[in-house]
Amino acid sequence: MKHKDEGWGWMLSLDFFFVGMGSGMLIIGGLVDLFIGEGRTSVLGNFLGPVLMAIGPAFLTLELGKPTQAWRVFMNPKAILTVGAWVMSMAIGIGFMYASFGIEMLPWSYGFGFVRKLLAIACVVFGVVSGIYPGMLLGRHKARPFWNGPGIISLFFLSSLVTGVAGHSLCGLIMAAPTLSDVLRNLPLLIEGLLGLQLLLWGGYIWVKRSGGTEAEATATKRWISGDLSMAFKFGVILCGTLLPMVLVLMPGAIFQGIGAGLVVLGGLIMRMLVVRSGEDRTWLPGEQKYRSRLPGGDEAFLKKAWNIK
Amino acid sequence: MARYAMVLDTRRCVGCHSCTVACKVHNDLPVDMIYNPVTTVGPTGVFPHVHMVHIPLLCMHCDNPPCVDACPTFASQRRDDGIVFVDENKCVGCKACVMACPYGARVSNHAKGTVQKCDFCMDRVDVGKEPHCVKTCHQRARTFGDLDDKDSEVYKLVYGKHTVRLLAELNTDPYVFYIYELEART
Repeated sequence: MKHKDEGWGWMLSLDFFFVGMGSGMLIIGGLVDLFIGEGRTSVLGNFLGPVLMAIGPAFLTLELGKPTQAWRVFMNPKAILTVGAWVMSMAIGIGFMYASFGIEMLPWSYGFGFVRKLLAIACVVFGVVSGIYPGMLLGRHKARPFWNGPGIISLFFLSSLVTGVAGHSLCGLIMAAPTLSDVLRNLPLLIEGLLGLQLLLWGGYIWVKRSGGTEAEATATKRWISGDLSMAFKFGVILCGTLLPMVLVLMPGAIFQGIGAGLVVLGGLIMRMLVVRSGEDRTWLPGEQKYRSRLPGGDEAFLKKAWNIK
Repeated sequence: MARYAMVLDTRRCVGCHSCTVACKVHNDLPVDMIYNPVTTVGPTGVFPHVHMVHIPLLCMHCDNPPCVDACPTFASQRRDDGIVFVDENKCVGCKACVMACPYGARVSNHAKGTVQKCDFCMDRVDVGKEPHCVKTCHQRARTFGDLDDKDSEVYKLVYGKHTVRLLAELNTDPYVFYIYELEART
């Protein structure tokens, strides 16, 4: 018995996180290949992108009421969830094909430069679409005041990019790129810039939602400023996920940069958890909030006794 | 083709929750599922001008239903007569419709792994009967009928009285109308 928490749970947050980070890694891998040169990013990073993108939908499948019928999600081309499912599937396939060029024992790793470039372009395109897709999915919800609007798209995309760069940075520390160049050394600077932009955008988003939107938006945003989500947002996303990494990634030494990149990834995960949870807030109908607050949550002792619920 | 609609007269509703119970019983809903709750606004004001309104809620059977657009499996559908329903065989329980519905009209059946909702008791409607909630309401606060039929009571109420629609600003074009007491008084 469960009356409350009607909506998406933490597994969808993990889906958004893994898909976001994976798409960011695809974009960075593709862009570096196209504009800087082949073999400048770690093969591990190139593979990790599509692997993460495959792990995400696995969590989404577990979130379904009928996981064995997950294939039905591909059926309605008018639904944004279906479009996302197709785009992610293609991104995963393209990501693996692109990454396979880094394995020297495979026959196509030499002499198929044109195909590699085409795949790099496809990685960027599908990575961008996959990166903005969760934001598009959430932003269309008219009655979810914290999500509604295009602003959430940029926040999700930026987080995808910065976690993607952090992922490549970590992979580069574990397994160096075949052709070591300035790229790896400059990744911390890229992280720094993206984190700064992310900080500004989050500040602007919270401020606009708090002061310039509807009353429902202001109420929903209050949870982030002084409500139950505020501690996790301030310490998890802003301090640990943004400010600390901005200092750490600029410090000399791989260990500091590794910790900084790890914190960026952690911040991206916490951010998605909080955003999905803020979907609990709806534009309430007259008297509805009071009515629902009185419904049992399912964990009340008297319910277990009265209805023998385990 | 008919276009079904419901009018809820909050001046008549006494908040007895008979409709909620009738719906649960006849649709055989689990204890944690409610299709049509009745909320209460108030009491407001100062004696002797104290005021309280009961508002029965249900699926609004929107003409532009965001839940149908959000469904990736074609499980959520809208019939030509306007009834929005869920085909449980196609539903995978992704809850995209739950999140898309601005009225909180959809509920998960955790045992079945699907999402369910009010369908205006379409099996009854198809054989010319009224939904259970309408039949049960002893205050006759609920009126159901064909909005395309100019002789129907629902048509006369919608176009004759001052009716309002919930969250009309979202442009979902709901086909559940309310005669709201405060509005009716003025």
